[in-house]
Amino acid sequence: MKKLIRYLAPLTIVLIAAIFIYNIVTNGYIQHPGKTSYQKECAQCHGDKGEGIKSLIPPLIDADFAIQNIDSIPCWIKNGLNHPITVNGKLYDQPMYPISIDEIQTANIINYISREFLKNKTEVNSAWVKEKWNNCP
Amino acid sequence: MLPVYGTKIYTSKVVDGNEVIDSADYTIPPFSFVNQDSVVVNNETVKGKIYVADFFFTSCPSICPKMKKEMLRVYEKYKANNEVIILSFSIDPARDTVARLKNYSGKLGLENSSKWHMLTGEKDSIYAIAASFLVSAAEDPNAPGGHVHSGNFILVDKQSRLRGYYDGTKTESVDKLLGDIDILLQEKQP
Repeated sequence: MKKLIRYLAPLTIVLIAAIFIYNIVTNGYIQHPGKTSYQKECAQCHGDKGEGIKSLIPPLIDADFAIQNIDSIPCWIKNGLNHPITVNGKLYDQPMYPISIDEIQTANIINYISREFLKNKTEVNSAWVKEKWNNCP
Repeated sequence: MLPVYGTKIYTSKVVDGNEVIDSADYTIPPFSFVNQDSVVVNNETVKGKIYVADFFFTSCPSICPKMKKEMLRVYEKYKANNEVIILSFSIDPARDTVARLKNYSGKLGLENSSKWHMLTGEKDSIYAIAASFLVSAAEDPNAPGGHVHSGNFILVDKQSRLRGYYDGTKTESVDKLLGDIDILLQEKQP
């Protein structure tokens, strides 16, 4: 009996690992937790690929304004943004509307945007979002 | 063959002493608005043209940017075809002045305002034309931006008949619209 377990245990581990790898291979990637929220809350204006809309909505791809003001992003999501901004040298004045989502979703979205569009490796968490929310202008 | 929407209008007349029932398709009633270049756009402007209509407002925070992005696909595809035009009616005409519409169309990069008219006018006339397209538009203080409106793109043929409704926030639905415009362009005129 003990011998059987000795053989089966490593086999089970290998099997679980194989299923995991199979999933990654067939799905192509492990989906980022912020992707669904981004697509639901942000993509209709900023675009699936963060490309924005002409001169109406600013892009997120390599957006210098977002990279320089990463600490302000939680408050923009929570309260919107109602003044003109310059993104990569271009002026945008369409107001951004507030989104009602919790701090976990907000952190996921910011991490998704950072990684996908801003090429920024810093990860934030819900506590960081809450702290920023407490100090919104 | 695309469907024709709206209730048919029946009229009776007497021919050789017999009553005859005549039917006519529902058509968009005459209208008159002003576009982003202060040019009057009315039923004469759309006569013999296929057009796509939608309702929006420039300060609309929710579905409008996506709708405008999708409408840009219609604009780009039929840029050189003068049989197809676009009418975007502002449901916030008090704020959406000609200057504001001009600014907005500039942000979308429109060079040709006779291809894509952004329209303003009397609020009541805007709501009335929305009703005649069989879609909704209303003020609602609880909605984002203070107005609610349908996200539909409405396809109208050369005889001002309603031929299709599409979700202007969905890329697949607008793909269907682009295909249906091509079908309408092939349709024989009476």
